[in-house]
Amino acid sequence: MTHIQEKDKEYLREEFSKMKQNVKLVCFTRKDSCQYCKMTCEILQELQELSEKISLEIYDFDQDKERVEYYKIDKVPAVVIEGDKDYGIRYFGIPAGHEFGSVIENIMDLSNKKTSLNEETKQALKKLRKPLHIQVFVTPACPYCPRAVRLAHQMAIESDQVRSDMVEATEFPQLSNHYEVSAVPKIIINDVVHFEGSLPEKDYLKKVLEALEK
Amino acid sequence: MDDFSFSISRESTNNDLADEYDVVILGAGPAGLTASIYTSRAKLQTLLIEKEALGGEVASTDLVENYPGFPEGINGGELADRMLEQSERFGTQVIYKDIESLDLTSPQKIIKFDSKAIKAKSVIIASGTSPKDLNIPGEKKFKGRGVSYCATCDGPFFNGKNVAIIGCGNSGLQEGLFMLKFVKSLTMVEFLPTIQAEKILQDRMKTHKNIEWYLNHQITSINGEDFVSSITIKNRETQKEKQIPVHGVFIYVGLTPNTKYLGDQIKLNKWGYILSDERMQTSIPGVFAAGDIRDKDIRQVATAVGDGAVAASSAQHFIENS
Repeated sequence: MTHIQEKDKEYLREEFSKMKQNVKLVCFTRKDSCQYCKMTCEILQELQELSEKISLEIYDFDQDKERVEYYKIDKVPAVVIEGDKDYGIRYFGIPAGHEFGSVIENIMDLSNKKTSLNEETKQALKKLRKPLHIQVFVTPACPYCPRAVRLAHQMAIESDQVRSDMVEATEFPQLSNHYEVSAVPKIIINDVVHFEGSLPEKDYLKKVLEALEK
Repeated sequence: MDDFSFSISRESTNNDLADEYDVVILGAGPAGLTASIYTSRAKLQTLLIEKEALGGEVASTDLVENYPGFPEGINGGELADRMLEQSERFGTQVIYKDIESLDLTSPQKIIKFDSKAIKAKSVIIASGTSPKDLNIPGEKKFKGRGVSYCATCDGPFFNGKNVAIIGCGNSGLQEGLFMLKFVKSLTMVEFLPTIQAEKILQDRMKTHKNIEWYLNHQITSINGEDFVSSITIKNRETQKEKQIPVHGVFIYVGLTPNTKYLGDQIKLNKWGYILSDERMQTSIPGVFAAGDIRDKDIRQVATAVGDGAVAASSAQHFIENS
């Protein structure tokens, strides 16, 4: 059974023909007690088949310890999207529903090595000297979430100091409870700045920079 | 939750912006997307700017059943996806941006964002509406802590819990039906003495036993410590108050037009909706309005799509004759 509709595949094949550099997808899975691990890797497999410029590696969370440590994976399913290097972009939980579009955007951004962030944001990110970890909690049916994920992931592309995770909230209830997530998108920066909703880029950046002062 | 869809809606890969466009469309809901399909097919260089959610309000609708062509209904996100794909296929450039300012009054329209100024011969405003706030004690405090305006986004967090829906119009009942997949019980509160939603939605709701209806009731406060724990409602006839324990409150009490960013350069009605004629012409030549943001009676995907087509044709006519 395939997950991506045939007509979407055709469209994506055309989109991926515009890719410049290779992109690697890395999927972390687990045999037991992971409802969406299998499906997540299957979707990536389907994406990989649409372009020669996309490669896929699949690792087992319990067995491939070296890779788990290398990519700093602490829960599954997990997806890493890598361009010419690992920019710290992670998806924890299945990137389904509206988040699937975020994966496509990431692939294209990394392949073309550019983001749509505005100049001021890029300049501010260049000045970062301390590490920032952005976690964006989402649900697949939330149409306001992809922009919040995209901004975080693009910030990770622009700065080596930024790591950015999409977290599908319903698959990680303990983590969601820990951060008191009951509305999405919910964004947690370095565990010290929390906010809900899809903020404009300028305000989002302000929140990110705020985390450095705390 | 295994019946996932995989939405391909996203920003255009080509995000290099030109200095000037024939048409700039503000808002990527059904009205803006339809307008962009028509302007792009007319070979007008088109930029579609969205600030929040590609697909607009419809993208957060679980099931759209009254848009022709989909006899079984269609998920709102999927419908938006199809429209976006269609628009991009004809050459529309779609970007996420937050408008900083607009000058619509001069012959050449100026749209400013990211410290850039983009010029346009014509502008179509299709930035829609947002859910209206109740403006009662507790609403602001508990936003994201039990108060929500998007059942499809936040519904899964209320699995097995008691939830209230405020407003029994089409949105309230439609989202209520969606919430029934998760919740233990629903409390439906309506200010008016009757349910305002379509009869078919009312009939579907009535097949469920775990719903309590409070018609002709006004919600007066949302209560709790850190999270919502109850609501207080008042019977509008007897003035008697009642506290109902709930963990979540979903608010569907109407819409407010997203026109603030336009300033006072365009004529609005007293509720802030854009005044326009049947050609979607606003008070400013070359500026057209489409969809929910217009002063009109029926706000549906079908009417938004119609507005979008007319606005696009008017924009084309304006460009060709100026």
